[in-house]
Amino acid sequence: MHDDVFAPRRGVQMRRMLRQHPGAALGVLFILVLLLASLFAPLPYDPMGIDGGATLRSPGGEHWFGTDGAGGDIFSRVIYAARVDLSLALAGTVLSLVVGVLLGLAASSKGKGSERLVRGLDAFQAFPLLILALALVSLSGNKLYMVVVAIALINVPRFMRLLRSEVLSLRESRFIEAATATGASPRRIIFRHLLPNVWGIVLVQTSLTVANAIVVIASLSFLGIGVSPPTPSWGSMIRDGAGNMSSGEWWIAGFAGLAVVLCVLAFNQLADAIGDRTARTYR
Amino acid sequence: MNAQSEELALEVRNLAVSIKTPHGLVHPVKGVDLTVHKGEIVGIVGESGCGKSTTIKGLLRLLPANSTVTADKAQLAGYGDLLATPVRRMREVRGAKIGFVAQNPFGSLNPIYKIERQFYELQKAHKTKVSRKESGEIALRMLDGVGIVNPARVLDGYAHQLSGGMAQRVVIALATTLSPQLLIADEPTTGLDATVQAQILDLISGLVRQEGRSMVLVTHDLGVIAQYCQRVVVMYDGQVVEHGSVMDVMVEPQHPYTQRLIASVPKPGEKLDVSR
Amino acid sequence: MTLSAMPGLPVRKARKARGPVRLVLERLGFLIAAMFGVVTLSFLLVSVTPGDPARLIAGPMASNSQVEAISQELGLDKPIVERYVDYMGGLLRGDLGESYYSKRPVTTEIFEKLPATLELIILAVLFAAVVGIAFGAIAAYFRGRAPDWISRLFTGVFQAIPDFFLGLLLIYVVFFLLGWAPAPAGQIGFTESTPPKVTGFIPIDALIAGDPALAGSALQHLVLPVLTLGLVYAAYFAKTARATLGRALHSQQVFFARAMGLPERTVLRYALVESRTTIVTYAGVIFASLLGGEAIVERVFAWDGLGAWALQGILRLDVPVVQGMVLIAGAITLITYTLLDIVVGLLDPRIKHA
Repeated sequence: MHDDVFAPRRGVQMRRMLRQHPGAALGVLFILVLLLASLFAPLPYDPMGIDGGATLRSPGGEHWFGTDGAGGDIFSRVIYAARVDLSLALAGTVLSLVVGVLLGLAASSKGKGSERLVRGLDAFQAFPLLILALALVSLSGNKLYMVVVAIALINVPRFMRLLRSEVLSLRESRFIEAATATGASPRRIIFRHLLPNVWGIVLVQTSLTVANAIVVIASLSFLGIGVSPPTPSWGSMIRDGAGNMSSGEWWIAGFAGLAVVLCVLAFNQLADAIGDRTARTYR
Repeated sequence: MNAQSEELALEVRNLAVSIKTPHGLVHPVKGVDLTVHKGEIVGIVGESGCGKSTTIKGLLRLLPANSTVTADKAQLAGYGDLLATPVRRMREVRGAKIGFVAQNPFGSLNPIYKIERQFYELQKAHKTKVSRKESGEIALRMLDGVGIVNPARVLDGYAHQLSGGMAQRVVIALATTLSPQLLIADEPTTGLDATVQAQILDLISGLVRQEGRSMVLVTHDLGVIAQYCQRVVVMYDGQVVEHGSVMDVMVEPQHPYTQRLIASVPKPGEKLDVSR
Repeated sequence: MTLSAMPGLPVRKARKARGPVRLVLERLGFLIAAMFGVVTLSFLLVSVTPGDPARLIAGPMASNSQVEAISQELGLDKPIVERYVDYMGGLLRGDLGESYYSKRPVTTEIFEKLPATLELIILAVLFAAVVGIAFGAIAAYFRGRAPDWISRLFTGVFQAIPDFFLGLLLIYVVFFLLGWAPAPAGQIGFTESTPPKVTGFIPIDALIAGDPALAGSALQHLVLPVLTLGLVYAAYFAKTARATLGRALHSQQVFFARAMGLPERTVLRYALVESRTTIVTYAGVIFASLLGGEAIVERVFAWDGLGAWALQGILRLDVPVVQGMVLIAGAITLITYTLLDIVVGLLDPRIKHA
């Protein structure tokens, strides 16, 4: 396409991408609104508060999303939970990204050693990572930073594998050969030639990692690991409402679960959109 | 050479293809005429992207659903108008009335089924009843006819075990199993060794001559046209820019594109001009 | 859980056949090395972390001396190297230690819980494969048209729902609203008792015991958990099937098959056989990742399987149980992958004869 020749500024590219992928645009909007609301919006009730006189109210005018078994306002809690859930997910993603990219680059040589490392990663990913992650957080005494480490444990190998395969195939390409032939230093090759070209798929993987992290955090707090009460998190709200599902009070777990689903959808859509964009620019 | 009669095998008038894309309607083929007499080999020549393959696919109605093919006439002898036929009935034409040989023979064969099975599927698709044994015997004869030395072994094997030339012979055998009167070969020697190319073209043109068939040979190689075809159609940018007997077109090209095309073929004893 | 079925999966590549004996030996060697690595890793993971199992077992009211006594009893007071050597020594004899709580050998508990989990996973993978491939095939065949959009919408939504939440939604809709499924409380009803153990699979054991009513009830109890896992993983299947079948449908062999006048049915079959190795591989990978990955769903449905058992072990800091789970899941996964290589070799002549 002729307009790619002029390589428009990133901002323009971003806007065009969002126009072509309305799902991704809606998703980004949703996440932004949710995040801002959780940080700044005045909530109708205290998200940590309980009200013995108003338990298990169904959604309505007074409590938009109803109340839970202790009388907590679901709407306030769902919005407020975005704080801890999204920030943990983003922290875990950043850690996975940094460690994964660095280790991935380090493992991108063609030697026997790096081959073995990848086989080792294969084997590692073959194990029940969720169980390992749960064990890690639980056995370390439920520290929040361990949740971040657990997310990285699951996602670092994915970044490594992705980066390695991409860098290895790029290494074969003409322009890297040309750069090497002109005597560019390895550092220059990595930072000037390799990284800019893998950036697109790294972004895709980053977006998928946020989605995955949100699910991992929800799973952990669903089991009572990680975020501890009374701080509301989507996982623990689903846990609170789990028993009520078979007696008909769907809204306690329902809205929290919906929040998780929408966030995951948003980041998956964003990943799709970036992936499309990347495919068109580089391939 | 002039074994062909005045009887027509295929007559196409004003064939056009349009494809709906996100960026609007595109027209890769605009008003192509193509006449093939019985017993004749007609070459279509042009650079890649000029619409040769799209013309062929359009005739066979094998273009994706977002495209439309129109023509004033697309008469196939012994059948009828190809474009007046509903798409779902085109199946009777393909393979049975028109044999097709594609480039890259490895890609044409199914990688998982044995060769014998692929002959069977083809015959099952066009005949009401055919036994595995009958189909095997026919396949054996067909492979023998295309010069395969050990047909039984080839039948019992897979595509990846064949050499490129052998695989293309198998494809030709498949394409002629149901004795179609018209063959369409779309760059049948692309990707094959130079020595094998001549063998394959000899085989294919021999088959056409023997059985009094006709063929449309799509290529970008003027040498091939000169050696095997009686008439040629030169395509450029989705249109026919020149057509006529190979002799006329080669000796006295009228259209500037054809002139350049012919000039670009290196001739023995001539110094190569690499200054451009 | 939707963890390991996301992009970044270990993709099995077709390798050229070497001497079969050497190949198997090499595989076995790698298997053992990988197991060793994982055991060590899991040991370190659960032993070095700061949580104190002895204190948790003793309870919040216990005195320090009580905690120490428990610590001594469990061997937790010994230096880590000694504990590691002990554990590895036991492992070589097939001894995975005893649960801190039930005091029963971990191996015994594993074999007790395994059938319940296997029946769940196998049925879920079957369901996911059938539904997912069907949806993926439809999407690939009608790429860019309405059926494709609809299929992708479903795929996208089901991929975004955490499996345990989907389980809860199904409980609300199918059990509470419609009343079509029994209460989500285990493999059989409250009033029923487990049949005498033969295979460990309750529906089969019930039939063997001559109790078809009980077998029927066991099957009914399977519906919701299988549906939960099956729907989530069907979405992953559909995505993969759409991509690989889409590629196959645009391949030259499919074009040639059409040009030869083969009916669309046969053409679709040609495309399917071309992509079947990818799809079978994917099924194997999903099967392996479900082991342990379905733990939370087991918990949601009070399913007495390996996953729920391991979760309980984790929450109670029952270290031998956690290690046992990691080990058995790893072993089954590696065995699955090895079997996959063999099956793929059988399905694809290009690998066998290469």
